[in-house]
Amino acid sequence: MMIRDRKKKAEPLVSVLLPTYNRRNFLPTALSSAVQQNYSNLEIFVIRDGGEDISDVINSFNDPRIVFIDRQENRGKAFSLNQALLQAKGKYIAYLDDDDLYYPHHIETLVNTLEDPRVFLSEDSSGGDCQLAYSDLHRTYCRIGPEGDREVLSKVLDISRDFDRFFTLCFNHTLHVSLMHTREILEKTGTFNEKLNVLVDWDLTRRLAFFTDFHHVHEITGEFYHPVGDSDRISARYFKDRDEYLRNFLAIRTTRPPKPWPKIKDMSIILTMDRLSEQVRDTLVSIWQHTFYPYQIYLPLEQSEFGKLNVEIPNMVTVPVESWTSKEQIIDAALAKCDGDVIAIVPAAFPIRNFWVEDSLYALINSSANKEAFELEDSTDELWAVILSRGDLDYARKNFPHLTFRQSLKAAGIIIRRVLAEEIPFQYDQLLEQARAAGKSGNWLKAAQTFGYIAEHYQNKLWIKGLAAKAFFKAGLHTQAAQLVRQVNQQQPTVDTLLLEAKLNRRKDCKSAIEPLEKAEQMLDFPFSQMWQNNPVFKEKS
Amino acid sequence: MDITQSDTNQQENTTQRYEVLQELGDCHTSVGNYEEAQRHYEKAASVSPDEPGPYVGLGVIALQKNLLDDARIAFRVACRLAPNCSKAYAGLAMVAQQNGDHKSAFDMYLKSLELDTDNLTALLGLFQTSCQMGSFVQVTHYLEVYLDMHPGDASVMFCLAALYMKDGQVERARKVLLDILALEPSNKDAINLLEEVEHKLAQRESAE
Repeated sequence: MMIRDRKKKAEPLVSVLLPTYNRRNFLPTALSSAVQQNYSNLEIFVIRDGGEDISDVINSFNDPRIVFIDRQENRGKAFSLNQALLQAKGKYIAYLDDDDLYYPHHIETLVNTLEDPRVFLSEDSSGGDCQLAYSDLHRTYCRIGPEGDREVLSKVLDISRDFDRFFTLCFNHTLHVSLMHTREILEKTGTFNEKLNVLVDWDLTRRLAFFTDFHHVHEITGEFYHPVGDSDRISARYFKDRDEYLRNFLAIRTTRPPKPWPKIKDMSIILTMDRLSEQVRDTLVSIWQHTFYPYQIYLPLEQSEFGKLNVEIPNMVTVPVESWTSKEQIIDAALAKCDGDVIAIVPAAFPIRNFWVEDSLYALINSSANKEAFELEDSTDELWAVILSRGDLDYARKNFPHLTFRQSLKAAGIIIRRVLAEEIPFQYDQLLEQARAAGKSGNWLKAAQTFGYIAEHYQNKLWIKGLAAKAFFKAGLHTQAAQLVRQVNQQQPTVDTLLLEAKLNRRKDCKSAIEPLEKAEQMLDFPFSQMWQNNPVFKEKS
Repeated sequence: MDITQSDTNQQENTTQRYEVLQELGDCHTSVGNYEEAQRHYEKAASVSPDEPGPYVGLGVIALQKNLLDDARIAFRVACRLAPNCSKAYAGLAMVAQQNGDHKSAFDMYLKSLELDTDNLTALLGLFQTSCQMGSFVQVTHYLEVYLDMHPGDASVMFCLAALYMKDGQVERARKVLLDILALEPSNKDAINLLEEVEHKLAQRESAE
């Protein structure tokens, strides 16, 4: 929801952070888009992270709001952003990459959202507070010319996704260019991790998800560039080095910011086993590689085995036990040590795969029933694994310590069940995937129906309706396609939907197709045409 | 992420500007605004130099202006860029037809239909040139194939009925004409031809 027309009050200062490295050609566009915002109370940090000199570009703007941090040494994006954060005074922090751009209403839109008391209750902060808002961005495909100029080929709204904490923990869905957060919240999350050289943004976004909800503004307020062919993006370069990418990826997924976490229930995994073996080591590595939800593993070890583990796994706590310790005693000993809000009890030989624990965990967290435990999906009688709340487990063990683990749960009145299909996470993504797969296999009607279902049941109606319209068109159902695409174009037209409307109009009358096509052409050219006229650097180039 | 899939999506997603310009060219051509159309086709060709579409469009504009040499050059460029471009061959056929070279026109229309049996321009062009040349066998085949795909297309049905008639297949001609009239009861061409067919059938019966 776009929140405008609020009572006029003093505009809070926003710090825009723009690190740059060897992108002289693109920097003027990015910087112009920040300088030319409708919202004026800005401090714009341009951080030169080494590379070619850009002082002439900065000087050409002659804007006192620009703070130029001119560093010759290349120390990476995280270091650059942290350097600016040290000086930033804004109530809010926004980010811009040197090859991306804001539309003129970007900052205004996000500030208005965060300043709205329905979104961010800064005074009493009595729960439900969003200290972060994000909007949608066009992915702009472009061709880089011989002189480094960009020719825009397409502008696509890849995804318009409402905030999903589980997804944010699993992978990035909010680019930093699209978001704004309070500066204050960094005191809890910490700043950028300078040990990372890729996915630096996601690392912070993920940590932010421990402390705040994210508010999604269903409006396109900027663009990020996607060159066709070889990309000069840092992420693209590292993507080619899979090992390095994986190292960063796993480091991010196992990061646990300092507690307390108001928005995340901590998960403790208690491994039960007879003795340390190769299989235990394999299981530990598998958990590390496949678990995206924040966790800590509690591993029972005899004193004599402490030096024999030979594997370095993050977030692992050893629990000293004796050789005769029973499974129940292991659980009780680990419970005494751990501070998880939810506890998974897992035999060491349990098969570990993607989502091995998260499906059941998601159901547990979202269940409104009391005293409920979920068997993990691959659980069997021989390898029985379960997840439940700390309170329920404590209650069962304290009141029925003489019983076996499973019997104690039963005696405590805890209902043990399996997760249902409708309880697992990422339903939205699975439906999207199903619809896209149907389209790819040529079953456009099924694709259109699935998109229709998503539009009815989820919040991002306009974006999904656009996809449904395209699918109906490909299925030959032009009336349905026309109905949907006109609804979308009245509220939030995109190049794709305008093009579709033109194709539909053209079937009856070519004249009526020209107007949406001209709008689409303007959209592809926006906002370069204005920028070229307003900045001396551009004038010189042109 | 699956990189191959991502690459495929990228290809699908990079054609918007080309599509917008090409569609603008086609729409302006359709409403007779050839200057605007030409401007958009030229821009489309510079955005996607490997696409035959803009050259087909430029060829069509040249044909409309009766600049046959320019049209031929444009359609040839399109053919060179995409050897399976049915529209480009249909364009070359139209140029040949305008030049009175019915044999070349016939061959090019045939080539165009081999590449796309749905190409109505080529189909009707083939019908015209075959009438001019008096050779109907291949035309009948393509008309039948086309009608399998588009069973209610009255203009093509009429061409087929006319060919059956010329070929002496009067019963088949009658059936097709009755089908047309079931769809369009006031189709004058069909009514007139059906009258001729009935007359011929009556003559045949009386002769027997």
